[in-house]
Amino acid sequence: MDRFMFLQRGGCEDPPELTAQQMEAGMKAWMDWVKNGTEEGWLVDPGSPLSKTGVVVNPDMSVTDGPFAESKEFVGGYTVVEAPDMAAACELAKQTIKLAGGGKIEVRKFANAGE
Amino acid sequence: MPKYMFVYRGCENCHEPEEMQKFMQLWMDWIQVGEEAGWLIDKGDGLEPDGAIVNPDLSITDGPFAESKELVGGYSMVEAANIAAAIELAKGSPIAVSGGTVEVRALANVEMANE
Amino acid sequence: MNQSTNQLVEHFFRHESAKLIAVLTRAFGLRRIDLIEDMVQVAMMEAMNSWKLNGIPPNPSAWIHLAAKNRILDSLRREKTFAKAMALSGQTLASQELVIDQWLEDEHIADSLLRMMFVCCHPLNDRQTQIALTLKTLCGFGLSEVARALLLPIETVKKRIQRAKKSLAGAKVSLELPDDEQLEQRLDVVHDVLYLMFNEGYSTSRGADPIRSDICEEAARLCHLLCQNPCSSPATKALLALMLFHASRFEARTDDLGSVILLEDQCRSDWDHQLIGSAQGWLAQSKCGQPTTYHLEATIAMLHCIAPCIKKTDWSGISALYGRLLELHNSPMYELNQAIAIGESGATHEALTRLMQLKDHPKLEGYFLLDCAIARIHLLEDDTMKAVDSYLMARSKTAAVHEHELIDKKIRKLTEITQDDRTQSH
Repeated sequence: MDRFMFLQRGGCEDPPELTAQQMEAGMKAWMDWVKNGTEEGWLVDPGSPLSKTGVVVNPDMSVTDGPFAESKEFVGGYTVVEAPDMAAACELAKQTIKLAGGGKIEVRKFANAGE
Repeated sequence: MPKYMFVYRGCENCHEPEEMQKFMQLWMDWIQVGEEAGWLIDKGDGLEPDGAIVNPDLSITDGPFAESKELVGGYSMVEAANIAAAIELAKGSPIAVSGGTVEVRALANVEMANE
Repeated sequence: MNQSTNQLVEHFFRHESAKLIAVLTRAFGLRRIDLIEDMVQVAMMEAMNSWKLNGIPPNPSAWIHLAAKNRILDSLRREKTFAKAMALSGQTLASQELVIDQWLEDEHIADSLLRMMFVCCHPLNDRQTQIALTLKTLCGFGLSEVARALLLPIETVKKRIQRAKKSLAGAKVSLELPDDEQLEQRLDVVHDVLYLMFNEGYSTSRGADPIRSDICEEAARLCHLLCQNPCSSPATKALLALMLFHASRFEARTDDLGSVILLEDQCRSDWDHQLIGSAQGWLAQSKCGQPTTYHLEATIAMLHCIAPCIKKTDWSGISALYGRLLELHNSPMYELNQAIAIGESGATHEALTRLMQLKDHPKLEGYFLLDCAIARIHLLEDDTMKAVDSYLMARSKTAAVHEHELIDKKIRKLTEITQDDRTQSH
C-alpha cells in the first residue's frame, strides 16, 4: 500500500451563494465521504481547505505574500489517502472532485511512507 | 491552537555525499526538536515528482510538469499560536536553511475560523 | 527510535560512496563508471530522504549497499548486450551479486579500494588529474569540493575527470594491482599523489577553508590503507609518518580566522601528542637500507615535534638531514629550510648569506616566507630594524589578507619591544 496526497488545484473562485438546504446537503455528502473512507480504510486524513492567503519564507529568510489564488502554484486544500497504486489513487480522487466541485486534483505519491 | 501546513518547494541542491549527510542531519535534528516541543504534528514527507492530474471532467492526465521551484516537493504540519509564530518555525526548517522555499498556509477547517 | 543518539560517523556518505564505486567498478568495469557513480548517488539520495524521516536503520551500510546494488543491477538487466556477455563468461547476475557482497565486507573492502587507488593514480593521466580522480572517486568528494580543494574552476575539473575516465577505459585499464615489475614505479606515483594531496590541505595559502583538514585526513587515511597491504613499501610508512607528524601540528598552525601562526609562535601544547606517538611508530616501522625523501622529511618533522621549544630543537641534526635531502633532490625549498636550521643553530651570518643568495632563485621569487626567514635571522642577531624591513618586504610579496595579518602582528610585536627599550634606556 502506498500513500498519496491530493492537492486541490484551481476551482477557487468564491462559490456561488448556497441555500441553507444546499449547504446542508453538501455537509452530509462530505461526512458520508469521510465515514466511507474511514471504514473502507483508504482515507488517512480527510484534510482541509487551506486559507486563501499565505506567505512564503524564502532562502534569504525574507517573507513574501503568496501564492495568490489565480496563480498556478496555488493549492486550495489537501487530502491524504492510501491506495495500492497511482491508478487506484486517481479513482479515489474522482470521488473527491465530485464533492469539491470545480478545479482539478493533483495526485502525488509519498516518497518515503511505508518503510 | 491553529494548524499550519508547510509546503516545500525547491532545494534539491544536495548532490555531494558530504552535503547530503549534513542535510539529513539538519532534518533529523529539526524533527526531534519539533516533536519533543510538540509543535511538529506531522513531519510530513517528500512527494514523488511524477504524479497525475484528475480533471473536473474526471479524465486523468500525467502531471504536474512544473519547474522544480514551483513543484510541491513535500510538506509538514505544525501547530502554532498564530501565523507569525508559524513563520518563525518555518524559518528554522531544513528546507529554508538549505535554499528552498516554505509556503505557510493555515488549515481553514470548516468548524474553526482562523485569522 | 531515538534519532538524536542514532548518528552517522563523520563522512559516512563520502566513504560509503567510495567503497561502492570501487567494488561495483571492479565488478562491472571502468567503462561503466559513470553509470555506477550515478546509481550510487541515487542510492545515497534515497537513503538521505528515507532516513531523515524514518531514522537511521540499524545497519546503514547494508541499507545503502543494497539500494545501490539493486539500482545498478536493474540498469544492467536492461542492457541487451550485458546478458549475452554474462552468459558467455559463465556467470549469472546472482553469482555476481554474491561476489559483490563479499567484496563489500569489512575484511575485503580494502582490496577494492587499493585497486581503485592504482587506477586513479594511473600514469596515463597527469598529476593534477590523478589527484582530482582520487579525491572524487576514493574520497567521495563532489565536483565542487574537488574544485575548491585544487583551487580550479568546476568546469575544468569536470572536463579533466571526464577525459581521464575516457582514456582509462579506452586503454582497457582494469582494477588489478600492478604486476611485481611495475609495482615499485606505480607505487611511487601513488606516494607522490598522496603527498601532493596532503600538501594541498596542509598549505596555509587558503586561509580557514575547512576542506583543508578534510583533504589531509583523506590523504592520511588512504596512506594508512596502503600501509596495511603487502604491496606497500618502507617509503609508504615513512610517508604516513610524515603526514601524521605534520597533522599533529595542524590545529596550532592557524588561528580561528585562518591567519598563519609560524613555528616559532605556535603553542606546542596544542600539538596532538597522540598523533606524534603514532607517527613515531610508523617511522620506526619504515626503517630500510635506502632512506627516501619521505624518510628524511619525516625525521626532520619528528625532530620538530619532539622538541619542547624552538631553542631546544636539534637544529644541527635538522641541517644535516636537509643536506642528505639535497643529495637526493636539489630543491630550493630544502636549501631554504637548511639555511634556517643553520641560522637557528647559531651560525646566523652563514644563514643570512645563503638566504640572500636564495632571493635570486627563480622558484623562490615572490615567496614571502623567504623574507620572513631572513627577518627571523635578523631577530636572532638582535637587529630589530632590519627584521622589520624584511617583514615589510615579505608583506609586499603576498596579497592574501590573512598573510598580511600575520606579518602585521609580527611587526607590531617588534615595534612594541623597540618602544619599551627606548623608554627603559631613558
